[in-house]
Amino acid sequence: MKKELKLKVNGQPYDLYIKPKTLLVEVLRDIVGLTGTKRGCNSSSCGACTVMLNGMSVKSCSVLALQANAAEVVTVEGLAKGNELSPLQKAFLDHGAYQCGFCTPGMLMSSTALLAENPKPTKEQIKEGIDGNICRCTGYNSIIRAVTDVVKGEYGEYKEAK
Amino acid sequence: MSKYSVIGTRVHNVDGTEKVTGSARYTFDVVLPNMLYGKILRSPHPHAKILKIDTRQAKRLIGVKAVVTGKDTLGRKQGIWRRFPELCDEEILCRKKVRYIGDPVAAVAAIDEDTAEEALDLIDVEYEPLPAVFDPLEAIKEDAPQVHDGVELNININRHIEWGDVDEAFEKCDHIREDQFKCSSQAHVCMETHDAVASFGHNGKLTMWTSTQSSYYIQRLLADMLDMKESDIRVMNRHTGGGFGSKFELDSAQFCAAILSQKLCQPVKIVLSREEEFTATKRRTPMYYFLKLGAKKDGTLLAKEARVITEGGAYTAMGATALYLTGFFSSFPYKYPNYRYDGYRVYTNTAVTSAMRGFGAPQSTFVGESQLDMMAEDLGIDPIELRRKNGMTPNYEVPGQAFIQSCGLHQCLDKIEQHIKERGKLPPNHGIGIASYGFMSGGIFNWFNTPYAFSSAIVRINIDGKVDLFTGACDIGQGSNTTLSMICAEELGVRLEDIRIFSGDTGICPPDLGAWGSRETLMNGNAVKMAAADCKRQLLEFAGAKMGVNIVYDLDIKDRWVHLTDRPERGVSYFDIVKEAIRGKDGEAIMGRGHYTPHRKGMISPAYSFGVQAAEVAVDTETGRYKLVDVTTAHESGTVINPVGIEGQLEGAIMMAGGYGFCEDQPMDEGKILNPSIADYKLIRSLDMPETKILEIDTYEPEGPFGAKEAGEGLTNPTAGAIGNAIYKAVGVRINDLPITPEKVLKALKEKKKKAKK
Amino acid sequence: MIKDFEHFAPKTLKEALTLLDKYQDDCKVIAGGQSLLILMRQGLVAPKYLIDIKGVSELSYIKDDKGGLKIGATTTHRAIEKSPMMRDGFAVLAEMETRLASIQTRNWGTIGGNLCHADPSGDPAPVLIALNATLKMASLKGERSMPVEDFSLDYFETALELGELLTEIVIPPPPPHTGTAYTKFNIIESDLATVGVAVSITLGTGDNVCQDVRIALGAAAPTAMRAKKAEAVLKGKKITDALLKQAGEIASTEADPISDIAASEEYRRELAKVLVPRMIKEALARAKKA
Repeated sequence: MKKELKLKVNGQPYDLYIKPKTLLVEVLRDIVGLTGTKRGCNSSSCGACTVMLNGMSVKSCSVLALQANAAEVVTVEGLAKGNELSPLQKAFLDHGAYQCGFCTPGMLMSSTALLAENPKPTKEQIKEGIDGNICRCTGYNSIIRAVTDVVKGEYGEYKEAK
Repeated sequence: MSKYSVIGTRVHNVDGTEKVTGSARYTFDVVLPNMLYGKILRSPHPHAKILKIDTRQAKRLIGVKAVVTGKDTLGRKQGIWRRFPELCDEEILCRKKVRYIGDPVAAVAAIDEDTAEEALDLIDVEYEPLPAVFDPLEAIKEDAPQVHDGVELNININRHIEWGDVDEAFEKCDHIREDQFKCSSQAHVCMETHDAVASFGHNGKLTMWTSTQSSYYIQRLLADMLDMKESDIRVMNRHTGGGFGSKFELDSAQFCAAILSQKLCQPVKIVLSREEEFTATKRRTPMYYFLKLGAKKDGTLLAKEARVITEGGAYTAMGATALYLTGFFSSFPYKYPNYRYDGYRVYTNTAVTSAMRGFGAPQSTFVGESQLDMMAEDLGIDPIELRRKNGMTPNYEVPGQAFIQSCGLHQCLDKIEQHIKERGKLPPNHGIGIASYGFMSGGIFNWFNTPYAFSSAIVRINIDGKVDLFTGACDIGQGSNTTLSMICAEELGVRLEDIRIFSGDTGICPPDLGAWGSRETLMNGNAVKMAAADCKRQLLEFAGAKMGVNIVYDLDIKDRWVHLTDRPERGVSYFDIVKEAIRGKDGEAIMGRGHYTPHRKGMISPAYSFGVQAAEVAVDTETGRYKLVDVTTAHESGTVINPVGIEGQLEGAIMMAGGYGFCEDQPMDEGKILNPSIADYKLIRSLDMPETKILEIDTYEPEGPFGAKEAGEGLTNPTAGAIGNAIYKAVGVRINDLPITPEKVLKALKEKKKKAKK
Repeated sequence: MIKDFEHFAPKTLKEALTLLDKYQDDCKVIAGGQSLLILMRQGLVAPKYLIDIKGVSELSYIKDDKGGLKIGATTTHRAIEKSPMMRDGFAVLAEMETRLASIQTRNWGTIGGNLCHADPSGDPAPVLIALNATLKMASLKGERSMPVEDFSLDYFETALELGELLTEIVIPPPPPHTGTAYTKFNIIESDLATVGVAVSITLGTGDNVCQDVRIALGAAAPTAMRAKKAEAVLKGKKITDALLKQAGEIASTEADPISDIAASEEYRRELAKVLVPRMIKEALARAKKA
């Protein structure tokens, strides 16, 4: 009944054998062991599980893991390069764009995906970029300011996330 | 030039790098060797007797290790108002009766979540449904079903606050208003649901990782329920994904995990589903509010009377506090010479209502500020002027109740008046409404009956000059780890990066009552300051001896420099003094202790913060839909310790408080919550969030560390009231029951049109 | 929790249809799964076999068809949203997609999946109805077509027969001087429609004369519906404010909405009354430019 799943997570190839009903978020958290990606609901509404799949932001709780076969997945653990945080991570730190931090991985992934697709979004587009992610702590505006500063070039010329 | 080196600076949250890299570990992420997963079976009935529970089939399912029911507990009841045993009425795992849809009746531990869930379906519970009651106005009637035996008219608790003589005062008023309101419930919707990993060892000791606002409360309540010594239980608050008032009482995840683990001597992890989070954890207290307000024609408020009936739900929980505080804050932030409040909390067969950010004050502020605007219109007085005329001022005594030391309300009113003026002429169907508030910095009344100081801290300086700060305070995202580290660094005279904080672990941190009632900055801040001062004093003893300074000079430490305060260029390195001090103490690290319990500060709180908020709305008169355009807040919270933190708290509060006024609701049918999912429970998202502006007023609170007082909770009070007042300003209709939905606005607009035609 | 199932990932349409034919009602089709997985996680749907057509690339396309559009069933919402072909008369499709759920959902969810889920508050159906679109379905027995407005039979129920797969959405080229507009009412911007209204209007000769009109409502009945009586009021006539009001009122009585936690039936009718005239006006303005 189990099927093979071959995918790359943060550049690292994995060769797994899973039950077909396994969700991508379960592969990432429980099998690969990257617990940065969170789960906050059962109705695909909160966005805490957001990751990048082939460059697109998706809710990993709503992707059948087998559909990520041969795909490249990036999680929050893949944003920093060694000990160098990504521009968005630095901006989040400077702006205090997080409080309890539970939604933060999802927010970072949504923002990263947004800027990968469109390096110069308007404020409205930034808001739209994180509209699929709920935050109960910050009121969103600090996150929008953080992304805006990255777009402005305050953290160096923005390069696409690999 | 700021007189502070650390306080007031914009810093990264000390937990920041963990949070932005996904390496912060929450209880949600805890995985232990040999760990089992638990699930809870809950009552589908709002009120029923439990006749029989057959767990045999569930136990036989492969992968199930244990199934427990109320019979596997000591049959004790708990409640957070420990001082009053009659208010400790919740078994958690019910033995004979269930009192709301969601009341736990059994729990399973299995090798994985799916097996545990499957096992729940195999537990056979025989119920005898009983008549149930859902509305407090019905439950308070003679013939209503009794939620708890022996509780007359289902009145769980009542509270009375009074000063002056309202009846006499009303006689003297030129104008009196009587208004009725209904305040809704609200769900906390923490991003991390309630969860716990309980691990009993064969030595009979319990270790628990849990998402909590107070590891000390959980430790003590578990000890009560399990008949254990408190100190044989270690509760650790990991990074916690939000609390907002939902996580400082003993909950079903914690208790059931503990019972299961006790049986098996294996770690058991229980994570509540989002649906359980909505239906079976505690929520904001819905209230029926009756207000009578009397004034002289010049706008002097003479008397206010408030009568409140609250929907208690099935158990007491923190409902008694919400009942009291709503009555107390109904007198805020104005000087009423005569005041009377009577509140009744009524048991109902619904999910328990308890503590949620604001604690009864968002309700009292919504109703009070709405009525005040109505009074202003009746009297023909500008709403800001009316507030100015009656607003609290520094060093005011709420007769017999509380003493307000610092108070920046009037400066806030000025700032908001200015802001509204600057906004100028508004487009059609736009309106700006205001609301004022005042809120507490932690509570004084020891309903928990703790023998410990309300807050304590230990500071330890190591040989390399780095400082370890141990505090029971729990960081739930509000940033207390950072704020307390900043206070410690400032007091000791070192840098923020020199501090390493250990918090929320009852095994190594001294007790603290936890993160609720907006108490950490003031109360734990004071404890931390005292502990740091203790260490500093010890260091300065050695410095004084080493430097041989004349007796007329004082020594201080700033930015790692131990120096004469009058001649700062004369000094030695902090690091050198540390080494010498440790040598001088026979090789012991320098330890300092601090604690704080408010004394002689009245009955409510040691200090209060104030603010005024202006909300601008744009209404579509054909549909009733309105947009939150802008929310500008002038507020004061004494000395601002952590500016980045406060801004975040304020904007976040607007999201939550705005939601309370705008879209959040828990409609029920026969005790069943109809929207227990984030898809159906409407929350403000980034596209819905208004522009926010913060106008900081400078004040200084003598009772607080470096003059600081509360900031995170008071800001949840005004928004619903400001929205209500804004809609009235925009289109001339007033909605007295929350939330203010477009449907209600449209209905009111149509009625207004009809009346105008007549 | 999701119950175990056997998973098949066909690479071609033929493979998919063969599997559907083999497993009949023991199987369910998944594309993006943005609706299906919610139901499966809650245990409401538990098929023995899951036919995963996400990888059937021959069903993912947006093609020009002599001025019309052909959209493959497994085309994602995001692809439609971002497609340069969604301009002029088809801009309304991109506008509709922009307000559909969140970017994450649109990146993986498909238009075919949305239509087959048949949630009456779905956004695509009313817009496609207004655009006079038809749907193509295939099975091992052959192909057939039907107008979008006939596809959904009831809440979450479609006209798809066992063994059949939705393959394509066909949108005819809009006639000259046609404008289409869509709006949905909700309290939270990206939320499902409390009521959705799509209007397509074709101008005739004369000033503001309506030659043809299609009014589609979402979340106002068990399925997306056409407000034909409201259309009849406008067809062939010169659009005036009074006529707009009348159209709105009639559409509001034609609708068959429910009362639920989002809104009462009464309020939904009020919304239809207000939004139908608004969208007619908007469509009219677009028709003039077309």
